[in-house]
Amino acid sequence: MAEVQKDAPIKSVQVEALVVMKIVKHCSTSFPTVATGSIVGMDNNGAIEVTNSFQFPSVDVSSSDSHSDASSLAAAAPRAKANIVYQNEMIRHLKEVNVDANNVGWYTSATMGNFINMSFIENQYHYQKENEKTVALVHDVSRSSQGALSLRAFKLSPEFMTAYKEAKFTTESLRNSKLTYKDIFVELPVNVHNSHLLTSFLHQIPAPPKSAEIPMPASLDDIRRDPVQIPAHPGFESLDLSIDPFLEKTCDLLLDSIESHYTDLNNHQYYQRQLTREQFKITQWQAKRKAENAARLAAKQSPLPEDEWQRLFKLPQEPSRLEGMLNARQVDQYARQVDAFTANITAKMFAVRGNLLPE
Amino acid sequence: MAVDQESFVHLSRPLAPNVLGFGVSNAPLTVNIQPQAVFSIIDHAVRRDDRDTQSTRVIGALVGVRSEDGSEVEVRSTFAIPHTENEDQVEVDVEYQKNMLALTLKANPRETLLGWYTTSHELNSFSALIQNFFASPETGTFPHPAVHLTIGTEAGATIDTKTYISAPVAVSPERAAESCLFIEVPHKLLFTDAERGALGSVAAAADAESRSAPVVSDIENLAQALETVSDLLERVSGFVGEVLDEERDGNHALGQYLMNALSLAPKVSNLAIENDFNNHIQDVLMVSYLANTIRTQIELSQRLATAKLDEGKEGGEKKDGEGAEGDKKTDGQRGQRGQGGKRGGRSGGAGGRGGREQREPREPREAAE
Repeated sequence: MAEVQKDAPIKSVQVEALVVMKIVKHCSTSFPTVATGSIVGMDNNGAIEVTNSFQFPSVDVSSSDSHSDASSLAAAAPRAKANIVYQNEMIRHLKEVNVDANNVGWYTSATMGNFINMSFIENQYHYQKENEKTVALVHDVSRSSQGALSLRAFKLSPEFMTAYKEAKFTTESLRNSKLTYKDIFVELPVNVHNSHLLTSFLHQIPAPPKSAEIPMPASLDDIRRDPVQIPAHPGFESLDLSIDPFLEKTCDLLLDSIESHYTDLNNHQYYQRQLTREQFKITQWQAKRKAENAARLAAKQSPLPEDEWQRLFKLPQEPSRLEGMLNARQVDQYARQVDAFTANITAKMFAVRGNLLPE
Repeated sequence: MAVDQESFVHLSRPLAPNVLGFGVSNAPLTVNIQPQAVFSIIDHAVRRDDRDTQSTRVIGALVGVRSEDGSEVEVRSTFAIPHTENEDQVEVDVEYQKNMLALTLKANPRETLLGWYTTSHELNSFSALIQNFFASPETGTFPHPAVHLTIGTEAGATIDTKTYISAPVAVSPERAAESCLFIEVPHKLLFTDAERGALGSVAAAADAESRSAPVVSDIENLAQALETVSDLLERVSGFVGEVLDEERDGNHALGQYLMNALSLAPKVSNLAIENDFNNHIQDVLMVSYLANTIRTQIELSQRLATAKLDEGKEGGEKKDGEGAEGDKKTDGQRGQRGQGGKRGGRSGGAGGRGGREQREPREPREAAE
């Protein structure tokens, strides 16, 4: 049985309501600084059940050196040495009160989906190399403020893990492994789960009216003083019409990403030119040596070795393709986000028009 | 947003004479509880170990922030404390509480220990003992009162919460440690806008039979919200219809309210609306179109970046690439121009970028030839 479970690939992530609330709280209080924390739970036949979470110690920015800001420190927190100790200590304590004491990954906050970067990869690699069944939960604070919770789960694909382990991201290795930017992450579906006790608690807030027949209000003030308790689900925030700022922000981020894509391309072009130049030099040198040798042969002298060029010339190192791949993935993500936003806006706009211009 | 009681009688707690010097206030105290704290307690109650202890309740500590004058406390998080309890004695793992508190405070240096919770409404002498432990100067919240939160988790009963503070009172000095006077204080469940979305999806799970619900995308969420709104409108119009048909007595206040709501519709000419609508929808669609173009370009760029210098099978592959690229190039140029027009400042950069992007894939081909 244990063997079967061990080999079952992760198919979905089930998050307890408690964890959802804790993550949302932590991320929104530390916004716009990145918030990170650890999640614990267990693996149940291919579904990771996340049952509790705790945040990593916050770093006091003023006390540390001024070069690194709070965000980058928090982003690096999951793989920091001090935090590994903290995490183990915390899990040991949680175990005593019957909380599932297995680390199943970590969580981070994001703004408009901007979480795809080297730090994210390093963190997830740090966890995943120890334990295959770990995930990264990403909570998007900005998108959640529109009303719908945005919580996504990612893990690195096995192919990417191998490539990252060998740190091989040259054009050749990528071509051989057929690894593209689309294969870096595997996204897993997220389910929110409640315990029985919590379900009954939730059915009490907001409390249902005591009797079926509600007394009629006597005046306008009565209505204002005692506004209707709107149930939390479905939230009406998503009906807000001012979605354009979000779209604008995403477009800005998209343009930034293109900018870095361009830089990356430039780097690669530079490398390409450098390579061509060096190769040209080598060919020249080889031709010269050949001519020399022919001359020496004619003069009955022993020929000079022809492979000395390997010592004389140094081919430039090919820049890693990883940065470019991540960037491509990020652009892809932004573009999809824009797509989702526009779908929303279009629907709302038609609704507004239909309302204002009755046929 | 808060779920609270409407009115509350504040009883001032009697103070022991020896604490007066510390400026302990007996001002009204309000407790704000964040939902994650309650969720955490409920989770703890579900996970209790009922094998080696006879008690059905569990205890834990409340952590959070206190307002400057101490009249308002906000419970932000909790942690469980192992304890055993039987007829004549109670044991609390003090060492565990100390370590866990230190760990929790390390993550949130601004928070402090506020008090403790338990999962039954019963107040007995053990409660008093633990309460005195949490209120004591060495290990507790002194000079502020320790907050005691009880939450009923018995099956069949409603899950309600009560908060207390205490005052020392005893019939004789030797019984002082195990007795105190609990005074109920008002509390409310407080949640911020950021948590509403989360609570929404949690509530969606609560309505489902399986007690779990997937995290839905924005568009699905919108659809659900629209459906609910249309249901609600249906109900209102049903009510109005009944009043008109004289099946039901009208209500002036409701009528006024509805009239006010209806008068909020802006008075704009149809032509202007049509015009604005078309303008905006075109912008939106353009952005969407551009985003998709960029995505395709990036995809292409990545493919070409790895599919080069391969002499053998290059011919066939390159033909494909070239064809696709040709199509995209026109798209790209059109796209970049559109973008330039819309975002004036960016036009130069975007144009240049577009040009370079197309040049890049061409280069390796020159090198290969």
